Amino acid sequence: MPFFYEEATTPQNRPLLRILARDEVTLADAEGLGARIEVGAPNHRWRILSIVEKGTEYSAGARKYFPSLQPKYGAIAVVVTSPIVRAAINMMMRLTGQAPNLRLFTTEAEGLAWLDELEI
Amino acid sequence: MSLTVSQARIQELLNVLVAAGSGDYDVRVRLEENDDALLDVEIGINYLLDDLVDRRDQNEAQEEELLTRARLLARQQEELVQALSTPVIAVWPGVLALPLVGRIDDARAATITAVLLERVAAERASHVILDLTGVAAIAGATMPALLRMVRAIGLLGAQCLLTGIRAEVAPQIVALGGADIHVRALAQLSDALALVLAEKGQLDLPST
Repeated sequence: MPFFYEEATTPQNRPLLRILARDEVTLADAEGLGARIEVGAPNHRWRILSIVEKGTEYSAGARKYFPSLQPKYGAIAVVVTSPIVRAAINMMMRLTGQAPNLRLFTTEAEGLAWLDELEI
Repeated sequence: MSLTVSQARIQELLNVLVAAGSGDYDVRVRLEENDDALLDVEIGINYLLDDLVDRRDQNEAQEEELLTRARLLARQQEELVQALSTPVIAVWPGVLALPLVGRIDDARAATITAVLLERVAAERASHVILDLTGVAAIAGATMPALLRMVRAIGLLGAQCLLTGIRAEVAPQIVALGGADIHVRALAQLSDALALVLAEKGQLDLPST
């Protein structure tokens, strides 16, 4: 299972959904995330910190599904150290248009600080 | 912004593009952890190839579905044509009539004969009226087929009558050896039916 979820809080004590991503993310995995942040679901419009491991890949189905999640999350800070994974996420963002409130970081601290700065 | 790129990466990109251009969409650019702008291009090409594979698969699936539907329609059409080309009608108990329309080749004659013989046997028919009103011309293969049909009907103990032979068709029948058919020929289907009913004692024919 490529997504591991954990409910936590930001340094300023705001609700945070922490996701660890690895291996190949399929459409089913992406839909699983969608179900967690759907309207009425427990993590709807939460801040999300996604830590994406080196070697993580996104299937074509997952890539096409992700844009539909935009209105369902508050903000996503993606922490990525692998240039390949970063390029993959950049390309997804380019192909699907603007992804408001989604930003890439190289460390968790930077991502969390950004999430705390945002008014959602 | 300047970018230094190894010749090997450029060659890899070109190889993938050439392969994809030749229709091989299963190739992918080998990715390495190079933190530069060309990596975005390499990823973009791989994603584009993923999309091409998806669309190719969808097209193949649609093509297969269309072929299946076309085959089904062709089979249904064939069954319909076959049913319409052998409209055997029970005009009286024990009396069958078959209006023949259009060209009758060996294959169609075989089908008609099979259907007709089945009905003759099933209904224990004593008479079969073959109506040729709808036959505008007798092709070379039609006459032997018609002869075989008449003989087969006779073997089942039924008597065959021909009706509706057009003036322009009669010489063709003779020229093709149709005179060998030892059956009664009458002008109209109703004449044949009247004759049969008279033979059965169920109709009084006016004396001529």
